[in-house]
Amino acid sequence: MKYVDEFRDPDKAKLLISEITAITERLDVTEKHPLQLMEFCGGHTHTIFRYGIEQMLPKSIELVHGPGCPVCVLPMGRVDDCVALAERPNVIFTTFGDAMRVPGSKKSLLQAKADGADIRMVYSPLDCLELAQKNPDKEVIFFALGFETTMPSTALTVLQAEQQGINNFSLFCNHITTVPTIKAILDSPDMQIDGFLAPGHVCMVVGERPFDFVADNYNKPLVVTGFEPLDILQSIWMLLKQLDEKRNEVENQYARIVPAEGNAPGMDALSKVFELREFFEWRGLGSIDHSGVQMRKEYASFDAEQKFSVPNLQIADPKSCQCGEVLKGVIRPWECKVFGTQCNTETPMGALMVSTEGACAAYYNFGDLDELLGKRDKQTQQKTANA
Amino acid sequence: MSDTHSQLKALYPFLHGDKKDAARENTALLESVKQKSEHSLSVKQAFFENNAQAVIDAAQAIAQVYLNQGRMLSMGNGGSSCDASHFAVEFQHPVTAGRPALPAINLVMDTAMMSAVANDVGIKHIYVRQLEAHGQKNDGLFGFSTSGNSENLLAAFDKAKQLGITTFGLAGGNGGEMKTSGLVDHCLVVDTDSIHRVQEVHVATYHILWDLVHTLLADQRGKLAEQPEHSNSQSERELS
Repeated sequence: MKYVDEFRDPDKAKLLISEITAITERLDVTEKHPLQLMEFCGGHTHTIFRYGIEQMLPKSIELVHGPGCPVCVLPMGRVDDCVALAERPNVIFTTFGDAMRVPGSKKSLLQAKADGADIRMVYSPLDCLELAQKNPDKEVIFFALGFETTMPSTALTVLQAEQQGINNFSLFCNHITTVPTIKAILDSPDMQIDGFLAPGHVCMVVGERPFDFVADNYNKPLVVTGFEPLDILQSIWMLLKQLDEKRNEVENQYARIVPAEGNAPGMDALSKVFELREFFEWRGLGSIDHSGVQMRKEYASFDAEQKFSVPNLQIADPKSCQCGEVLKGVIRPWECKVFGTQCNTETPMGALMVSTEGACAAYYNFGDLDELLGKRDKQTQQKTANA
Repeated sequence: MSDTHSQLKALYPFLHGDKKDAARENTALLESVKQKSEHSLSVKQAFFENNAQAVIDAAQAIAQVYLNQGRMLSMGNGGSSCDASHFAVEFQHPVTAGRPALPAINLVMDTAMMSAVANDVGIKHIYVRQLEAHGQKNDGLFGFSTSGNSENLLAAFDKAKQLGITTFGLAGGNGGEMKTSGLVDHCLVVDTDSIHRVQEVHVATYHILWDLVHTLLADQRGKLAEQPEHSNSQSERELS
C-alpha cells in the first residue's frame, strides 16, 4: 500500500496547507465573502469529509459540493420506472448496490425486493450476461447508471451480449453526462463558484478538452483532480495559484491516470452503443439539455425502454428539499430547512442525502450534527431578531 | 465515427456550436407534452373521484360564511399566492351574469405590509398580523400550500381558530401539517408530489368551489343583498 500512502502523507499535506494559506492571504477573500470552489464529484466530497480537509483549509475558502453523484441526481420518476420494470413477471432486475435505497415516489428497489420482486445486486454489468445465460426463460434487465466513467463498461457489455447472441438481456439506460451539467451550473443566475475541481474519472474516459469551455467562455479555472487527500489539496493549490496569477486554464493534476485525449477504446464503445437524449431530468437541477444518453436504434433489442412499457412519469422532489440551492452553492447542506431532521440518511427526502457520496449525507455522516443544527437555529434566530 | 474529436462532438454538441436537430428535439418535446398532459389528467381524475363529497362540504361551509355576513380571506406563498389572488378575484368579480359579488380579501396583495412584517418579525407572521387586523368571527380563511407545511399558513390557521374563523386548505403531497394539525376544518389534499400537478388541481378545485357556492346561495341572494356590507352580527343563518 506504499503507493496509496504517498498520497496520504501528512507532512506533504501540511506543506500544501501552508502554501494554500499563504496564497489565500494574498487574495481578496474573507470568511464572510469566501472563495467558493466546487468539487463536482461525489468521490471528491467523500475524500474531503473522510480526511477532514475542509477543517484544515483557511476559513476564507469554501468548498461547494457539486452534483457529481449519479445515484443522488436520479429523479424519483426513474426510480418508479425501475420498480415497475422489476415487478414485471419473469424479470430479474439487476443493479449496483447503492441504487437499492434511492426512494421513488412510492417505494425503493429495496422495498420492491421485500415485496417479492426479483432484484439482485451485481458488481459489474458483465455479471448480468452470466445471469441471463443461466436463466434463459427470464429477462435480465440491468439498471445502467453513472456518468461518462461507467458508460464504456455498459457499452462493452451490450457489445459482448450481441457477440454471444444473448437476447434475454437489456439495459434500463440512465447514463448521464457531466459536461452539460457544469455548463448549467455556470449559466445559473445565482452561480457563485470561483473555480472547479473537475471529475478525474470522467476525464479518464473523455480527456481534458471537453472542459476547455469553462476557462475559455466563463473565465473560471478548472483542475482535473484525483481522489486521494493530497490530490485534492494539490488541486486546490493549483486553482488558487491560477487565481493569484489571474489565469483561467484547464490543468490536469490527475495526469497519472488521465491522458489529455481520454480513453480511445472506451470512447469507441460508448459512441457505438449510445446517442444523446435531447434532455434528461436531474434531481435538484431539473431538465438539462443533452445531459443523458440513450441506446442507438441498432441496439433497440437491448433497450428495456423499447422492449417494455415504462411509465416514464416525471415526479417532482418534495418542495421542502433545497437540493438545487445546495448544488449551486447558494446554501450549505446544513442550512436546508429539513437537513438532519425530516431528511436524514435513514429516511432521505432529497437527492443529496440518498447516496453515501451525496454532500448532505457526507455532512450528516461525518459532521457534528448538533453543532450544524445549532448553527442553523442560530441563523434562524438572527433573522427573527433583525427587527 | 472513429476519431475522438467526432466522438466528443457527438457527446457534447454544444461545445462545438452545433445547432440542435430540430426534428429530433420536436419529437422528444411532443412525447414530453403527451406524458405530462396524461399525468395531469390522471391526477385530476383521481382527486375528484376521491374528494367529490369533501369539495361539496367545503362549498357548503363557504356558503355558510357568506350567509353569516362573513368574508373569505385567502393566502399562499409563491405560485400558491397567485392562486390565493385568483381565488379572491373569482368571488369579488363573478363572470357569470346574475351572480352577486361576494367579499373576499387577498392577504397576499399588500407588499408593504408583508415586507414590513417579514423584515421586522419574520416571514412566519405575515398572515397572522393581517388576521389580527382584519379577521373576525364568521369569516373564512382559505390557504394554498403544495406541501401542506408552510409555516406562515399554519401560524395563520392557528390564529384563525382562536378568532373563530372557519378554515379551508388546499394542499399537496400527503397534506403535511395542514392535514394532521387539526387547524384546517376543510383540508383537501392532492395526492402527488409534483408541484405543478398539485397546483393544476388546486385551480380546478377553487373554480368548482366558486360555482358550487353560488349554486348553494342561489335562493339566498335577496338575503345577502339585505346586508351588503360586512357586519359583526352574531346572528347566523343556515343553508336550507
